[in-house]
Amino acid sequence: MTTALAATDLGSYLPIFLIVMMAITFAAINIGASLLLGPRRPGETKGGTYESGMNPVGTARKRFNVRFYLIAMTFLVFDVEIIFLFPWAATFSNLEPMGENAAVWLARIGFFLFTTVVMYVYGVRKGVFKFD
Amino acid sequence: MPTWFNAQLVTSALTIIVMVHVILVTCAYLVYFERKISAYIQDRIGPNRVGFDFGLPALAFLKGCIGLGQSLADGIKFVLKEDYTPARVDKVLFTLAPAIIIVPALIGFIIIPWGGTWSGVLHLPFMEKPIVDAGEVVVVGANINVGVVYLLAVAALGVYGVTLGGWASNNKFSFLGGLRATAQMISYEIPMGLSILAVLLLVGSLGAMSIAQYQFEHGWLVFSQPLAFVLFYICSLAESNRAPFDNAEAEQELVGGYHTEYSAMRFAMFFLAEYAHLVTGTAFLVLLFLGAWEPLPFVTIWGDEATGILGVLAKAAIFMGKVVLLVCFGMVIRWTIPRLRYDQVMMMAWSALIPLSLLVVVATSVMVYLGKTGMGWMLAANGACLVLALLAQPFMPRALSNRRVPLYGSRFSPVAGEAVNTAPTDAMALEDRPVQGTAALR
Repeated sequence: MTTALAATDLGSYLPIFLIVMMAITFAAINIGASLLLGPRRPGETKGGTYESGMNPVGTARKRFNVRFYLIAMTFLVFDVEIIFLFPWAATFSNLEPMGENAAVWLARIGFFLFTTVVMYVYGVRKGVFKFD
Repeated sequence: MPTWFNAQLVTSALTIIVMVHVILVTCAYLVYFERKISAYIQDRIGPNRVGFDFGLPALAFLKGCIGLGQSLADGIKFVLKEDYTPARVDKVLFTLAPAIIIVPALIGFIIIPWGGTWSGVLHLPFMEKPIVDAGEVVVVGANINVGVVYLLAVAALGVYGVTLGGWASNNKFSFLGGLRATAQMISYEIPMGLSILAVLLLVGSLGAMSIAQYQFEHGWLVFSQPLAFVLFYICSLAESNRAPFDNAEAEQELVGGYHTEYSAMRFAMFFLAEYAHLVTGTAFLVLLFLGAWEPLPFVTIWGDEATGILGVLAKAAIFMGKVVLLVCFGMVIRWTIPRLRYDQVMMMAWSALIPLSLLVVVATSVMVYLGKTGMGWMLAANGACLVLALLAQPFMPRALSNRRVPLYGSRFSPVAGEAVNTAPTDAMALEDRPVQGTAALR
């Protein structure tokens, strides 16, 4: 272990602001440059929606399949679970193997995972993951 | 001077400024590589004309250059073309979406420790004293101890750009492409997070440097977590919307997907973001599984020992070389394997990758509990997971589509009891067949 590893102070987060600023500047310069340097030749047909040469019927603001909503809901459950698992994973292997603490931690997270598995099986039975 | 202004901060700032440029140039040249690789796979030559002569007679010796000027020419053209905003789009979101997709793609890489530890001493041979002597620092954009969580969180933000681009275009193809891309990206994020979890359980830390250190002590993690490696690689291909998972921009179905209505630089930003995502994701893969900057498995040359500036450059070059090699491997996959159907992509995520990655996490946590985290034990656990997955496979949810319907006269799915003729029946097909031994030499 080298000393350079210890990085718990808030100062080590400062470079994130630098890179965010650089990325935003990069995006702004690119969009601005292409708007300023490129030609501008608007036209009525040119401004239309491109749908493979067909005249567009209506707008794209339509209803869409509810399946995407179900996928998003299921994703939320899993994602929140994974976020809770990260701190656990970082600590678990530092416990004494086969110790009493480790057994309790494993059992608790096992129950937590089990609730997700119940949700997953429910989703499968309800046909959330059936794409046709 | 405030305490936060130290050698590490200066090194981080320098690393960021250098690596942003390295990554952007790499992205530009990855486009060139992609065109070359696809050309060779399809028995073409690919870009080979554009050099760096700019049409000037004085620079005529720079003509050709096996097409290396192509990336520069593309960049200049992207800026000088008309950046058109169609009449019916949502103008604010339409302009913002490329920025929203490029910012997360560019800020993710800063937790990657490209050069390992630097001794902080810059000493030129003809000088008596070193120019810089700052003490040990890590050559990384941001030396934070929650690096993995940061990278996951930032990479997930890329979904917003895709969704907004598809929505703001007010085009049915774009909208469908955006929807598909969103559903696909969030679906593959789950197995990705779980396979990272399997690694973190062994390492016991969320810091990028700790993951590298663990591999120098215990061997590369690709050998102790091969299943997680494969899962992560598949997910990183799917996350960046590349073939065989590029349903979001499937040309035959959706024109260009969410960037159909974009042109000039705003289109290029979507393109650039895809490649930047690819480079960041692959660098993360190299860090997690392939021993970061060590050139050979089981042999630790540098480890986390502090090295001079030349050692740092060599380590960064090896790291970047591994990344480029893996990205080129991804390109070979892209131009070899046909695109999966959309329902197959989603089925693969939800009924194959997610249960398998959950199984790997459970197996790893049990092994960690038993204290058997050596390479042999982990390989055995991975093998057990694989056997279990193969045994459980017949009971997993299956797609109802994709069944063969028997047809009269079909060569591939005949009705039961029907005589099948597998020879070509078409006169033209028979005529086209080469006759044995008479083909003329060319």
